[in-house]
Amino acid sequence: MMNFVFVLMIAAGAAAFVISGDGAGALGAMTAGCAKAVELIFSLAGAYIFWMGIMKIAERAGLVKKLARSMEKPLSRLMPGAERAAGPVTLNLAANFFGLGNAATPFGVAAMRELSDGTGRATDNMAMFIALNASAVELLPTAVIAIRTACGSAAPYSVAIPTFIASIASAAAAVVSCRLLARVVR
Amino acid sequence: MRAAELAIPCGIAALMVYALFKKVNVYKAFIEGAKEALPELLGILPPLCAMMTGIEVMRASGLMEALCRALSPVTGALGMESELMPLIILRPFSGSAALGLLRETLETCGPDSPVGMAASIIVGSTETVFYTTAVYFGAVGVTKTRHAIPAALIAGAVGTAAGLLLAKLPWGG
Repeated sequence: MMNFVFVLMIAAGAAAFVISGDGAGALGAMTAGCAKAVELIFSLAGAYIFWMGIMKIAERAGLVKKLARSMEKPLSRLMPGAERAAGPVTLNLAANFFGLGNAATPFGVAAMRELSDGTGRATDNMAMFIALNASAVELLPTAVIAIRTACGSAAPYSVAIPTFIASIASAAAAVVSCRLLARVVR
Repeated sequence: MRAAELAIPCGIAALMVYALFKKVNVYKAFIEGAKEALPELLGILPPLCAMMTGIEVMRASGLMEALCRALSPVTGALGMESELMPLIILRPFSGSAALGLLRETLETCGPDSPVGMAASIIVGSTETVFYTTAVYFGAVGVTKTRHAIPAALIAGAVGTAAGLLLAKLPWGG
């Protein structure tokens, strides 16, 4: 998929350059893109490393586990009959909540294993888990904040509250659409 | 609305004291978290290079602008800025493309402008749906994904719409 997107972007852009008769501009743009990526990584690294450090403290202080435990009851309502998966599911969502993507993925895979019925067909609970993951409910959107800081925002954190509200709306939509679609899609 | 600005330093201080009280080696935990950020930053650099090369070629050639202009009747009818369209389209496919386009949007429109706020909220409240589903379903060998992807995309669309609406409110930017 990304293969196709990448080729399309470069080829279409290059064609536009050729049509406008600016071959030198094309080469300049290509290398400038890479240079911008390197610059971006450097400029957001400080804020990103800081937040990863802070979130690790939250994990060590047991906050991820605490949050996971408090989510178990409401989640068991969303995923009936998935008691064995409750642990990894809640730990995955809690780790994601603290922006600990590295920690979240293994829990996510373990959760999918517990939710699977071994038929190669997604269960209702698997779809619910995936859809909940897609709504990206997070305490702080650290990568976005890092980029806003790098771009010279006067208030890089001003997006935290609206982002959280949008994520909650998205999670609600995930639950409703999963419930409705599960009846239709076999 | 300076709530977020006040809450963050208070939250960090409270977290550190709480962690100390819980007998966590706070210093060591911070170092470990910071260390884990490094391979992540390094890992995202190559795909970011690829995506930002693509974005830069499209932008500098004038293709991006032409695309936005072509899409402007659609985006105008939806009541959104056409600059956000490439970001919204690429978001479910690639996290790197989303970060690259977010930077591009913040640079050209300003991070605290309405468009910059909308782009920030949208990237923060959505996921790379196709990537996540591929990883999770691939790990357990599920090929019939049923309604998982449509439901995840609906969740993303609602998050995006909510982001567009919320960006119009004053958040103290």
